[in-house]
Amino acid sequence: METAIKVENLCKSYGSINAVSNVNISVDRGKVYGLLGANGAGKTTTIECILGTKNFDSGTVLILGMNPQKERKVLFERVGVQFQESHYQEKITVAELCNVTQSLYKNPLDYTELLKQFGLFDKLKSPVNELSGGQKQRMFIVLALIPNPEVVFLDELTTGLDSRARRDVWKCLSNLKAKGLTILLTSHFMDEVEALCDKICILKKGTPIFYGTVGEAISCSPFEKFEDAYLWYTDEEGSENESV
Amino acid sequence: MKAFNTMFKTELKLAIRGMDMVIFAIALPVIVMVILGVIYGNQPAFEGASYSFLTQSFGAVVTIAISASGMMGLPLVVADYRNKKILKRFKVTPVSPMLILFVQVIVNMLMSIVSLLLVFAVGALLFDLRLGDNWFAFLGAYFLVLLSIYSIGMMVGAVSPNIKTSNLLCSILYFPMLIFSGATLPYEVMPTVLQKISDILPLTQGIKLLKATSLGLPSGDILFSLIIMILIAGFCACISIKFFRWE
Repeated sequence: METAIKVENLCKSYGSINAVSNVNISVDRGKVYGLLGANGAGKTTTIECILGTKNFDSGTVLILGMNPQKERKVLFERVGVQFQESHYQEKITVAELCNVTQSLYKNPLDYTELLKQFGLFDKLKSPVNELSGGQKQRMFIVLALIPNPEVVFLDELTTGLDSRARRDVWKCLSNLKAKGLTILLTSHFMDEVEALCDKICILKKGTPIFYGTVGEAISCSPFEKFEDAYLWYTDEEGSENESV
Repeated sequence: MKAFNTMFKTELKLAIRGMDMVIFAIALPVIVMVILGVIYGNQPAFEGASYSFLTQSFGAVVTIAISASGMMGLPLVVADYRNKKILKRFKVTPVSPMLILFVQVIVNMLMSIVSLLLVFAVGALLFDLRLGDNWFAFLGAYFLVLLSIYSIGMMVGAVSPNIKTSNLLCSILYFPMLIFSGATLPYEVMPTVLQKISDILPLTQGIKLLKATSLGLPSGDILFSLIIMILIAGFCACISIKFFRWE
């Protein structure tokens, strides 16, 4: 199967601190890959290095076979991104932000359809900064999907969403996945990871400590529930005991 | 082109919604023109002058908008968009973040030009403002001054590490220039000491250039001002390109 995202031996340090060390990620086309870890574990840094918005120290990154920094213009016609923090102009409305985003691409999707799907159609005229946290979050997912991407990066996909909205977002992404969309996401919700991700990587202080499926993560741990297993992998005390 | 058009429309709407430029670049120069008109009417600039005091002031008043858009509007937006990481979002699209900066230059330029036309219309209709014949030279001077003031603004936007520094530097540049370079308070009514200080400010040289071209004065006297303007534009543009950071 064709590989959509290929990351090999990615390393990035800030001074003497290793933010990301030796990350290897390979995502096949049409699959969903989850990047997990506590706050500050290096998930966002990893995504930014993959996207080329941060320079990394060593390793190689290919998205759809292209180098994101050197082939930016061609690549980002086919890739959508939702950053963890939302970035928009003061006083801009939903419609204006969608319009500008749509104008950047050669073959974009109709954003009104996407806004309907994500329950934001009645907010077209609203200023973005008057949206609730959950509505903003959904709007930025819409922006990431406007290019009609083959690959989408979603950093903290459903943070701030209520349960209903989270389910709706999952359903939407599952549909897109069925149509062949490749997704790389980070999340703090283990139910979401279980529901969506084909493969995961757990990061701890910038170092990958587990690669595999959710099922494998459970069976390699002494627990039966994924959330317990995840906590077991990332447990601070555990690591100190090991190093003693 | 589609991206440019949509962004231009949106950024223009945002600038108008923001009101700052509408007040400082469009309303303020018109108000100053009206005040000068009411005070000086069609008095000659000095005894025996062939042009009025108001006509002489025209070249100065039009720089209020250039200063507001170039030294407040432009650098603050650049710093703000970098701070809000809007430039970063453009980095993961097919369009260069350079485009949004270019759009901002055009939006601000448009504000200045609208202001220029309004100030001229108010002067001509209400206070008998009459310019010299050499429109071409005046417009050339106008765009040169615009270029050098904008390049100062871009330099401030480029070297400021954050929006606070940018704000501070802009205020330090903008307000003294607005008052002491003759843009609002006419150079001709300043005491000689103040005129000497005023001569140091780059905008003062720009205003001399605009006055000479709008009044059709002999061009020999303004060579110095012309060179200063070109040097500033070149120097500041180089600094801004060299030190510009996306984040």
